[in-house]
This record gives sequence, structure tokens and C-alpha cells, in this order.
Amino acid sequence: MAQENPERHYNIALLNKIFALASLILLIALIWIFADDYAREWKGYQRDFRALESEKTQVKYNLESNRLKSEGQYDELDQKIKEAQKEAQQHNAKIKQLEDESAQIQSQYDIYNQQFQFVRAKYDSTKYYYEESSHKKSADSVGYKQKLDQLERKLSELSGLVEDSKDKLTQKQSQINDLQANLRALQKEEKTLTKQLDIFQKKLGKVDLGAMTFANQVADMIRDFPVIDLANPNFRIQQVVLHDIKDNVNFMQVPKVDRCTTCHLGISNPDFKDAPQPFRTHPDLKLFVDNHSAHPLEEFGCTTCHGGRGRGTDFLSAMHTPSSEEQKKGWEKKYHWHKDPHWENPMYPKQYVQAGCFKCHSGENSLRGAEKLNLGLNLIERAGCYSCHTIEKYKDWVKPGPDLTKLSSKISQEWTYQWIANPKSFRHNTWMPSFFGQSNNTDPESLKRSEQEIHAIVSYLFAKSASFNLETMPVTGDAKKGEELVASLGCLGCHNVLPKPTDDKRSLQSLRREQGPNLIDLGTKTSQQWLYSWLKDPSRYHPETKMPNLRLSDQEAADIATYLAVDNSSAFNKNSIPKVNEAILNKIVEEFLTKSESVEKAKSQSAQMDLNKKLLFAGEKLIRHYGCFSCHNIDGFDNEKPIGTDLTEEGDKAAERLDFGFVPIEHTKEAWFFQKLKNPRIFDEGHLKDPLDKLRMPNFNFSDDEAEAITTALLSFVKERPAPAKWKPRTPRNLSIEEGETLIREFNCQGCHLIENDGGQIRSSVTEWLVKYQGRPENEAQAMTTSFSPPNLIGEGKKVQTKWLFDFLHHPETIRPWLSVRMPTYNFSVAELNGLIKYFNALDNEDFPFSDLSNYDMSPEEYSAAQKLFSDDYFGCAKCHIVGNQMPGGSPDSWAPNFALAKRRLKPKWIIEWLHNPQDLLPGTKMPTYFDPQNFDTSGPEDLLNGDENEQIRALRDYLLTISDHDDKSTRPENLPQQEKPQTSADTQTGENSTGTPPSNTDSEQK
Amino acid sequence: MIETIKQFINHFSSPKIMFSILLLSFFFIFPPTEQLYQLNRKIGLDKIWTKKGGIVIFLFLFSFFIFGLTDSNFRLIVAKPDNVPIVGLLFLVVFFLWMALSQAFANDRRIEQGKKPKEFDDAKEKVLVWPDLVYIEFICLILCAALLIIWSILLSAPLEEPANPTISPNPSKAPWYFLGLQEMLVYFDPWIAGVLFPTVILLGFMSIPYIDGDSRGSGYFSFRNRKLSVSIFLFFWLVLWIFLITTGTFLRGPNWNFFGPFEYWDIHKLEALTNINLSEFVYMIIMKKGMPHNILLREMWGFLLIGGYFLLLPPIFAKTIFKDLYARIGLVRYSIFIVFLLLAIALPIKMYLRWFFNVKYIIAIPEFFFNI
Repeated sequence: MAQENPERHYNIALLNKIFALASLILLIALIWIFADDYAREWKGYQRDFRALESEKTQVKYNLESNRLKSEGQYDELDQKIKEAQKEAQQHNAKIKQLEDESAQIQSQYDIYNQQFQFVRAKYDSTKYYYEESSHKKSADSVGYKQKLDQLERKLSELSGLVEDSKDKLTQKQSQINDLQANLRALQKEEKTLTKQLDIFQKKLGKVDLGAMTFANQVADMIRDFPVIDLANPNFRIQQVVLHDIKDNVNFMQVPKVDRCTTCHLGISNPDFKDAPQPFRTHPDLKLFVDNHSAHPLEEFGCTTCHGGRGRGTDFLSAMHTPSSEEQKKGWEKKYHWHKDPHWENPMYPKQYVQAGCFKCHSGENSLRGAEKLNLGLNLIERAGCYSCHTIEKYKDWVKPGPDLTKLSSKISQEWTYQWIANPKSFRHNTWMPSFFGQSNNTDPESLKRSEQEIHAIVSYLFAKSASFNLETMPVTGDAKKGEELVASLGCLGCHNVLPKPTDDKRSLQSLRREQGPNLIDLGTKTSQQWLYSWLKDPSRYHPETKMPNLRLSDQEAADIATYLAVDNSSAFNKNSIPKVNEAILNKIVEEFLTKSESVEKAKSQSAQMDLNKKLLFAGEKLIRHYGCFSCHNIDGFDNEKPIGTDLTEEGDKAAERLDFGFVPIEHTKEAWFFQKLKNPRIFDEGHLKDPLDKLRMPNFNFSDDEAEAITTALLSFVKERPAPAKWKPRTPRNLSIEEGETLIREFNCQGCHLIENDGGQIRSSVTEWLVKYQGRPENEAQAMTTSFSPPNLIGEGKKVQTKWLFDFLHHPETIRPWLSVRMPTYNFSVAELNGLIKYFNALDNEDFPFSDLSNYDMSPEEYSAAQKLFSDDYFGCAKCHIVGNQMPGGSPDSWAPNFALAKRRLKPKWIIEWLHNPQDLLPGTKMPTYFDPQNFDTSGPEDLLNGDENEQIRALRDYLLTISDHDDKSTRPENLPQQEKPQTSADTQTGENSTGTPPSNTDSEQK
Repeated sequence: MIETIKQFINHFSSPKIMFSILLLSFFFIFPPTEQLYQLNRKIGLDKIWTKKGGIVIFLFLFSFFIFGLTDSNFRLIVAKPDNVPIVGLLFLVVFFLWMALSQAFANDRRIEQGKKPKEFDDAKEKVLVWPDLVYIEFICLILCAALLIIWSILLSAPLEEPANPTISPNPSKAPWYFLGLQEMLVYFDPWIAGVLFPTVILLGFMSIPYIDGDSRGSGYFSFRNRKLSVSIFLFFWLVLWIFLITTGTFLRGPNWNFFGPFEYWDIHKLEALTNINLSEFVYMIIMKKGMPHNILLREMWGFLLIGGYFLLLPPIFAKTIFKDLYARIGLVRYSIFIVFLLLAIALPIKMYLRWFFNVKYIIAIPEFFFNI
């Protein structure tokens, strides 16, 4: 064709060039796509990590080798090995000869063995044919039989030869070994010495190119080449597949796959705790990631708690979330980070990470290690968020605010007006939130309207207020005594007296002293009579109140009421109150009326009402509008539904469903929650709204920390719950503990008691009391605080009898007469009592209910021995312990509980354990350890009961139980030393004396 | 200054204005009749289809996009991997339109000068399948493959969140090739926009060879010989298809609200959309009285209008503007042609009725799910 100069439309030479160029482009594109696919972000991290790991291993290797060198032992051994080698060399000729011989025997052995295998195969096959033919009675069987016999002979001959040569071989080998025995032993010793070093060396050989042989270096490089890397590459995706934790992709649930460790390579290795990210160790390996922790990586993955996209293998697709503006800027620069709207659960920002705990732990009330979440939940409880916003977890909680159905007996209309207008101006740290004076109702028109709204609310409340019989004080109170009583009786376990705001941040602990209101300015607010009536029986005024009854005598109650009412310093009542403005009120009334009526009708209806009627009408509507009834009992609002959004699954809410208005914040739910808590009305900014359409959530004036904690809690309210296998087991024990913790929280037991090593917030005020009223020097008071504080309830379940605890909680009695703080009487229901008892028993793994079948009869010999042990000659138990109504000598801070209670109160098994080692049960107790746990057998007196310590303890226990028998009737000591006896009457019968709360051992208690 | 330009463009690109300008200029750029054609030549609009004109058009297009890309909102929409092909489509449509029409107008001029069309010379040359055609096709294949590979490297597939039945994306957009239909849904009842129109489009395409028997201008690019056919086709193609797709892709944001190319897609944007039916317009606004209860009586005006549109207009057109056409193709072909044409023109008519009179339906019988 070429010669004919064929007919062509195009210039083929040019097309050839274009073709070449196009092919080249395609080739480049193909190479590019390979390279693009091959070059992954995570591979870079893995390469870096490998270098880091090799560096760290090298350092460890050097350390170890230096250690070996410095210890000398290694050098010594080395020397010995060299000597042994020299020695072995002398036998070289012999060894060589032996080795040659054994090589010969080896080859002989191989030949025999092979022959044996062949014959064996033939024999087996012949055997089959023989069996077949003889079974069929075939004539061939005779031939086969002959052949078989022949083969059998040959086989036994060969097996003899094989065994023979094997024996010879072993013999030669042992000869060689004998000659080298010394060297071998030394080498073995060296190996044990350098074991650690060898491990590091092996590791280095894996990660450090320099430490590899050339062949390994080449192999190491080649295994990561494209395509070849399908087999066994160095750099590969690391992943955890969790079959019982699912990712919800709406139409189905897929197992969670977390590939985070592809880049976070040092996450479980404590060596990397200072390494740069992403290689840094998890900050809490005790609790997370580690195989021995409660949440091993293999079982829980990463995104289960942190959120984010576990399958993502680069920075963006893993959905990292910055925790601050600076970090965001840094990420934008470094990773081109931007918010990805296409994944609904990006990682929690670091400050909200505890929100992840709750999906498995939602039943629990105090999550150790999740302090921020705990604080958030406590704040929700204290602030009473659950009363306007349904939260499933809190559906049975009582209203957080005081009862308003009898308020006319307590406060005046003027006071109420000002209180509603601005609660914080009366009590700086009140939990009553501010509805008025907020960002969306402070324009002049709204201010005027607010005045009338408050008037209407106040009018309604007072019009509906029932009468309440105030008790008149039978005695005159002494304010001074009252002050001391408040300081000593235990009021300060739940209340604060803080006239001025402090800078202290609210914490889980400080919240316990906000269980009740800050006791300031009560004289401005209410009357002595009311205070007196309230103190005598709080539940008479407010049946659901959490304020317990302290069983105050008339005099005590009068003193305290007088003291509390003295403080009326604030100018609160002197402020003038704006007048009722009927015109504005009309507008309010009409607005409410037009919701269901036509404008015409509304106008005429409102015209028919007189001023009072308007106030009442508007008041009722406004109380409903603002939801006052959610927190307070108000007559006429018994079965109202809460007015707020349901928050049970608020953490699942998509950010698009939240109205960000014109507020310039990040469009994420956490930013929205935070902003809402800081200023609930801010999202109205820039909107034109009718008064009744405005946002109405009141302002609690949360600090940043508090808002952050509550936001964490809100984020944690999600629907998703991983498989039950991942939860804390729902055993009866755990359930009892959870239920008990809820009760403890609700009744603020930890305000006074240490429970589970937390609480006892009253202690600082006990110290103050000791200094101020007992005249103790500061440091002495500190040391004595424990003795005069309510007891530590550690081990309570193990210690006291169930029946006694039930009775005690229902109706406290005196255990520690020297205490002035008093266990109050709560109106516990039977269910609550049982809940608490179950809780204490569950904590100590005790059976519930307790039963004991032991026999405490004593032989005369035992009795006298026990008596001796008890006496001052031996242990001197009565030096500290009260026995019946016999007080011990010495100062009350060294006193210990009454033995007379022992039989009813204590579990016999516990007494034994306690006598064995009190420190074990209650670390720090003042009870002396009479039997040294280190040298138990020699610790007790040798002259009693054959010196058998166990017998002594048992006898002492039995003796104690008999004392109780004798003195059970007269458990109440009569001659109490002067100081801590502010209470005088009304106590002797039921133990309303200064009572040391439930039975338990604080350090103060010594048995 | 730049902000003012952007605001002007935002305003200018609202469907009402943009569509009207397109509609008005269309018949001057693509003149369907001889008079308009002469006018077109006289004004010099045919210069568009020269090399210089092409360069100017492309310079304009490029500079608009380059200017636009400096704006973050514009960039966000245009550079979205989903939308990149539509940007390509804009350039390709303009390019091929220019290529075809530049040859057509060149041929027209040649014929006017008494020469043969360019293709007349070409016809003498032979293009061999082997190797010429196969070779260039192969080169094209290689280049296209390379293009697709490189494209796939540079723009990742737009993967979004797992589908959630309780949260639908806002805006929910059809695939780009259906965006024209989705845009029609704004103006028509679903059964018309989603069922009737697509069917009519297909039937219309099928009927073209039967209606258009005119062999003038066949075998070479030409405009003058086929003014009416070309301009009708381009009207459907450019105005009622490409324009609607472009609008749907770039200018329809959350809640299917209109957003200018430089406008932020604010999900809270609210537009006053209170639409009324023709019957309401007639009875309540013009006659100021209540609506009759009888459905037929109530919708009488709509029926009259539609009836008049399809029954009166064809004979009128046959006597006037389509006189020649009617004479040439006869009654049957004319009838088919005119029905299709009227159906197609109904779309812009309905759009205007919506924009200027807020008309929702011309015939509204929701009782029987029958709305036009």
C-alpha cells in the first residue's frame, strides 16, 4: 500500500503524532490514578510512626544494653563464654571427626528410612488386596499371603536398621554436646540475661531499615509496592469491627468499623504519651482502650464514645471536630478542615466528649470519671430543667420549687412582685430563674408590659392562696443561740449562708450545699412565725418538700426562727412598685382572648371584666404561658403538661431543626445549646415577634463552665443504645446501687455523710463551729472535725443489721451522743427505705435481707476471758465506748458508740472483721488495732483462751452482744458533758438527741 | 462597585426578567420569518456566527465565570462536583450552536453570492473508514478516556449522608437532565409536567420527519432555507430545555426558592407565594362575587380559554402567519404540527400567567384531581 501513495483524507503523519501524544496523556492519566489511589494520608502517618517507633526502640535498646554493661554481670559472663569457647576449641579436631561420622550415619539413616517407607507402602497395599481376596474367597489370596509375609519380614528388618542408625546418631550427638556442655550452658545463661535486649533487637529488625539484612531491606520495600501490597504490606489499614455496636444508616444497622488506629497508632501504648498527634497515647488508659481497662479498644472501638466516622481514613472523612476557635483555624490551615454537613454524628468537641458515656450508662447517676457530665446532670436536677422539659430519666422527680398554694401566709404581695421581677436581686445565687428583664423584653414597651404581667401573676397567686395556720411561738427565741444551732445542728449540710456572691465555681460538691436556699435576708422575706412553723414541721406547709424534720424542740425552733428573721438588711421591701395599668392589662387580656375568640368578642369580653377579674384572668394565662406551675404547686394547675420541648432525645436533634436566628455562632447543636443556656432569649434577636410568640425560657445565669456541663448532658441524651452486652451489667446489685444513688442524690445524703468516698460537705462548717463555738484552735478543730461530723457510711451494708437500718432511717435514734449534728427525720416512703437499705447492702455485696443463725452462748471460761479482754487491763474498751448509760472518761472527741446498741444494730460477722482489723474496714479510724494483721498469731494476749486470737475475738464479740442484752433498755446516757447540748427537751424518748446519723463508722466510731 | 454588579446580576437573573429577555431577543437572533431575517442581517446580529463573534461570546462566558468564581456563594454552587458537568454543558451547547450556525450562515452567504455551499466541495473528497475514520475515532476514544480518568481524580464523587426518610435534603433536586421537568413542576400540575409533557416531547420528535417534508437545504448547513424549523427547534432546545436545566441547577436553592448566582442560599428565605386559580381570578377579582357551586360553571372560563386556544388559534394561524406553511403541508400535517406547537408554547404562557397574575391553574378541579 505504501508504495501506491494511497489516498488519504488526513495527514497520517500528523495523526500519528496526535495518537502518540494522546496515548502519552492516557498513560500519564493511568499512572496518576494509580499514584493517587496509592498515596493515602494515613500511609504518611504510618511511615512517621515507624520512624518514631524505631527511634523509641533504639533508645530503649541503648538503655538496656547500657544497663547490662553497667551491671558487670554481663561482662563477667562474656569473659566466661570466651574462655569456654577457647576450651571448646581444644576439642575441635575431635568434634570435627564426630560430626563427620554423624553426617555419614545420617545419610545411612535417610536411605534406610526411605526404603522403609517404600516397603511400608507396598505392605499396606498388599494387605488390602489380601483382605479383599480372602473375603471373596478368591484363589489369589494365597499368593497375596505369601507376598505379605515376605514384605513383613523385610519391613521388620528395615525398621531394625532404621532404629539402629538413629541410636548411633543420638549417641554421636550427645558426645558432641558433652564436649560443648560448658559453653552451651553459659550461652543459655546469657540468653536469659539479654532477653529484654533481644526483644528490642527483634523489634528494631522489624521497624528499622538500618538494622535489617540487605535481603530483608529489599523485601521490606517491595512489600509496599503498588499491587504487591495486596499480600502483606507494612502500611495497612488497622481496624476494629464491632458486631454488637451498630451504626444506624437509617434503613439498616451496620456493624461499627473503626479505623481510627490506622493513624492513631500509639493510642494504647504508654510509651507515646508525649508523642505528637496523631500518635499520642490515650490520656486515660486505665479506663479506656487498654485491654485490661473497662472499655478495651477491641470491644468498644473509638467512635462509640467519641462520635465521628469510624470508617474514615483521612482527617476530613473521620469527621474530627475542633474544640476551639484556634484549633479550628489551625486545622483549616493544616488539613483544609471544613465542616462536613453530610455526617450527622461528627466527633464530639473535646470539651463535650463525656456526652458519649451516657448511651451505655444512662441508668446511672454518678459516673466516675465523667465529672463534667455528672455536674451537668446535677445542674439539670437543681435547676429543675426536667420540670418544663420532659426528660424520661426524671419523670418521677418532684417539682423543684416551693409550694405556692399557701403563700399568703409566708410572703407579701410586694415582696413577691419584686422577687418575680428579679429574683437574683434578693438572693444572688437563687435557682429561681429570671423571666423578666431579659434581652427580648427590655425595650421600653416590653418593660411596661412586664410590670403588668407580674402584677397579674402575683394577683392570681394570692387570690388562690389557701390559708395556713401559723403556729405562735410558745417561747421567746434567742437569736444568738439560734445562730449556733444553725451552725451545729446540720442545717449547713444542705444550706449555705452566703450574703455576697463568691468567685467559687459550682462543683458537684458545692451543689450539695445548694440543696436548700441560701439562708440570707429571711427577715425581709417572711415572718418569724412562719419560720417557726416551717421548722417545726416542713411537710405541713409543703408536703413534697425535701426539707427534713430535725425534731427541734420549741425552744430550738424559736431560737432558729428568731435568728433567721433577724436578717432583714436588704432594701428589697423599700423599693417602690409600679401601679397597675389597666390599659396595658386590657391589651394582655385581649391578646389571650383572641387566641380563641374573634377580636370583637375579645374586646367586649374584656370590657365586661372588672380590674380584679382582668388581673386574675391574665394571671392564670400568664402562669400557663411561662410555665410557673411546672416548678411550683399552684392551685388550678394540677394536671398541666410541661411547656418545654421534650429533651429525652435532644442529643439526636439535627442542627437544622434549631433556629439559630441571626446569632453569629457555629451551626452545631452544641454551640446552640451553649448559647441557649447562656442567654435563652438571644435567638429572638432581630426577629419581629408578638409578645406571646417571644421565647420564654427563663435565664438561670449559668456560668460558662455550667453551660458547658449542661450542654454535655444534653448531647448525651440520645436514643441510640449499643447492645446490652456493652452496658454495665443490669444485675440486681447494680440496679439497687443505681436506685440508691438516685435516692441519695435526691435527699442529699452526701451533704452530711461520706458515701462511696464522696460527700460530707458539712465538714467545713463543723470545723467552723468547733472554732467559733467550742473555742478550739483552728488546727485542733481541723483534726477533730471527723469526730464531730456525721459518720462515713463506707461499709454500712456490711456493718449494720437490715432491720435496724430500716427502723433507724424511719425513725433515727442516738448512736453518738457527743455529736451535736443531728440525723433528721425524712418522710421516707417504704419503697424509699427499702431502696436505701438495698443500696447499702448491694454496695457491700451483702445478702438482702440479712439473716443470721449463729449461736452466741458462751462457756464460763470464755465469758471470763472476754471480760478480761474488755477490761482496762487488756483492751480497755470502755475507755472510749459508751456502755449503756455509762460515759467513758476523756474528751468527747475520742468517744465511740454505745455498746448497748451492738446487738440490735451490728452484724455479728462484721464485729469479728472489725476486731481483726478496723483500718481495713474504715481506713483512718481511731479504733486501735489490737490484733496486728502482719503477725496475727502472736498479736493477742497469750494468757487468755490458749492465746488463740480467733477465739479471743469471737469471745469478745459474744461478750459485746451480751452487754447489749443487759443494757438494752437504757441506751440513753444521761450525763452528757455540757457543750454540745443545745437541745434540751423532747428528745430522750426517741433519740432526738444530737444523733450521729445512720449507723456507720466514721473515724469517730470505734468499737 | 463589584457588589453592585453582583446585585445587578442577581436581580437580572430572576426567571421573569431573564426569560423575558431571552424570549424577546430570541426571534431577532434566530429569525423565523424572512422579514426578521432581513432585520437580523441589517442589525448585524449574524456577526455572532463569525469567528470574531464566537471569540467574543466565549470571552464573555469565560470572563463571567472567572468573575463569578471570586464570589464564595457562586463558587459553592458552580464548583460542586454535581454541577460541574452543567457548567461544561453550557460551554458545549454554546460552542456547538456557534459551530453549526456559523457554517449555516456562511453557506447562506455563499448561496447569496451564487456559490455552492461549502459541503458541495467536501462531497468530492472521500473519507476512508480505514484508516482515517477509525484512526481519529480511536484518538478521540483515548482522549475521552484520559479526560474521564483525570476528572475522576480531581473531583471526587459527591457522596452525601446516609439517606434518612425523616430528613429530606433541601433543596431536593432531580438529576440534572430532569431539572427542566422539575422546573416545569413549578408551573404545572404533576400529571402535566411529569407525564403529559415528556410524552408530547417524545411524540413531537417522532413526528418531525412526517411533518417536515421540505427538502430545501438538506445535505448542508443552512439557516435561511429552514428559518422556521430551526428557530422552532432552537426555541424548545435552548429556552425550554437548556435554560430550565441551568435555572434548576444554579438558581434554585432551599425550598425551590429562586437565588441569584451570587446570593447566599438562606434556608429561611421566604417568598410571598399566594397563587389563585383562573376561576377565582374571574369571579372574585373581576366580578367581585362568590364562586358558583357547580364545578362546570365555576371552571367554565378555563375551559373556554383552553378550548379557544386549541380550537381558534390553529385556523387563525393558518390564515395568517402560517399561511405558506399550511399551503405547503396540508391540513393533517398542519394540525399535528400546530397542536404540538401550541402545547409547547403553553409553557411560557403559563409561566407568565404565574409571574404576573399569580395564576395557579387555568382549570382547577381538585375534586377530580384535574388541574391544568
